[in-house]
Amino acid sequence: MVSLEKTAPQQANDRAKIEIKNLNFYYGESKALKNISLQLPERSVTAFIGPSGCGKSTLLRVLNRIYELYPKQRAEGEVLVDGQNILDRNQDLNLLRTKVGMVFQKPTPFPMSIYENISFGIKLYENLNKSDMDERVEAALRRAALWNEVKDKLNASGLSLSGGQQQRLCIARTVAVKPEIILLDEPASALDPLSTAKIEELIDELRADYTIVIVTHNMQQAARVSRQTAFMYLGELVEFDETAKIFTSPQEKRTQDYVTGRFG
Amino acid sequence: MSSIYPRRKATNGIMMVLCVVAAAIGLAWLALILGALLYNGVAGLNVAVFTEMTPPPGEAGGLLNAIVGSLVITVIAVIIGTPIGIMAGTYMAEYGRFSKLTTAVRFINDILLSAPSIIVGLFVYELIVRPMGHFSAIAGAFALAVLVIPVVVRTTEDMLNLVPNALREAGTAIGAPRWIVIRSVAYRAALSGIVTGILLAIARISGETAPLLFTALNNQFWSSDLNAPMASLPVTIFQFALSPYEEWQQLAWTGALIITLTVLGLSIFARSLTGRKG
Repeated sequence: MVSLEKTAPQQANDRAKIEIKNLNFYYGESKALKNISLQLPERSVTAFIGPSGCGKSTLLRVLNRIYELYPKQRAEGEVLVDGQNILDRNQDLNLLRTKVGMVFQKPTPFPMSIYENISFGIKLYENLNKSDMDERVEAALRRAALWNEVKDKLNASGLSLSGGQQQRLCIARTVAVKPEIILLDEPASALDPLSTAKIEELIDELRADYTIVIVTHNMQQAARVSRQTAFMYLGELVEFDETAKIFTSPQEKRTQDYVTGRFG
Repeated sequence: MSSIYPRRKATNGIMMVLCVVAAAIGLAWLALILGALLYNGVAGLNVAVFTEMTPPPGEAGGLLNAIVGSLVITVIAVIIGTPIGIMAGTYMAEYGRFSKLTTAVRFINDILLSAPSIIVGLFVYELIVRPMGHFSAIAGAFALAVLVIPVVVRTTEDMLNLVPNALREAGTAIGAPRWIVIRSVAYRAALSGIVTGILLAIARISGETAPLLFTALNNQFWSSDLNAPMASLPVTIFQFALSPYEEWQQLAWTGALIITLTVLGLSIFARSLTGRKG
């Protein structure tokens, strides 16, 4: 199976924010991504779907090189963000991650207050006075639709919030450092349906300003929130197209089988 | 119902009784020790114990110099041992999680953890006391520090390993360099556990006698000179308990009670720290 390189045709004039070229990824000896190539358009939501172990999370974790935390994982090929290869050895990883934010499957508030959870990332790269920082924290919390719920208890521990609120806190924390790309790794899979709906609403609001990539197990979710969808299977990119096409008239039989629930 | 069921039930009953008896024996010793200490120690507990120096044989006195000596030596041991222990534990859990050095250090640390303290005392005697030519408080503190290190290394590593990787990834994903992730996220998440480790290390060394016999020795008088022998509760108890003088024996009981209550208090405090969800 040759991997396909496609952009979403309907938006052919969209600038590619991320260009993945011939990407291979290894966990030690085993190859988890096989020659992946695809282009993700700017200010748009792209979903990665596929059965467990297909490599969708792995692919996401290449985009901010978070895999570098683990010594036996390595990527080969090119990932261009704004035309610059982020897999380059000279790429500054911390700067890359301020540009490419990430939200994880389980909510991961830091063991500190709600306010500090947001200011933590900002303080790393900016020197703000108290009132400017207050503004930034408020703006980030508003952006994540959390402000009204926490404005009276900013000094409470981030861990005191509910699961859904914690996840929105994590999104607020990511937005606060002004990234251009936001990676979402199954952001709602640990949440109840109501919290999930809120997260999806939020994604809808954020897509005007950020390039969003979401990994999800939930096909309905992919259909609801994304504009284009990549279907992956066994480390290969099987099909990448507009979301509507993937779910209604996919080109590949395997895609068809997966989205209709015949396997996966 | 199968015919072997009644037999299984009987076996279960017998095993449970045996386990309860074993647990009760374990607890009984602790209760007996505490009871004996209270019975014999409380009698000698008075203000003089905390205000007067250790007396010469046959006279009344207190344990002030021994108590203060123990405090001084313990504090210095903790000041020396804790940073080394925390940094080594941090290396093992954070920087060198996948390295061979970590495996080696963990193995050696586990041996050190159960090393007889008298050997540590002899080691420090050779290393510090002999070259200096005399016993000293600082040598005693150093010997106790050697006992503090493995405890702190172990708990620091264990507690940091309990911090979910997701939290480190989250810190990294926001653009924080590694040392900030460790300082602001991992340490904070593991704080109560690490503090507990330090408290347990203090509890461990506060009753140690053997390493001090070879290093700080003892001092009948008040001394704040770190370069000279210094009194400590365990060594004073050792000396007084073996003496034929009744006043000394009483002070030994009282000193033993003070140490035991201190260690008990520290352990309970450490427990309450880990029990509380951070």
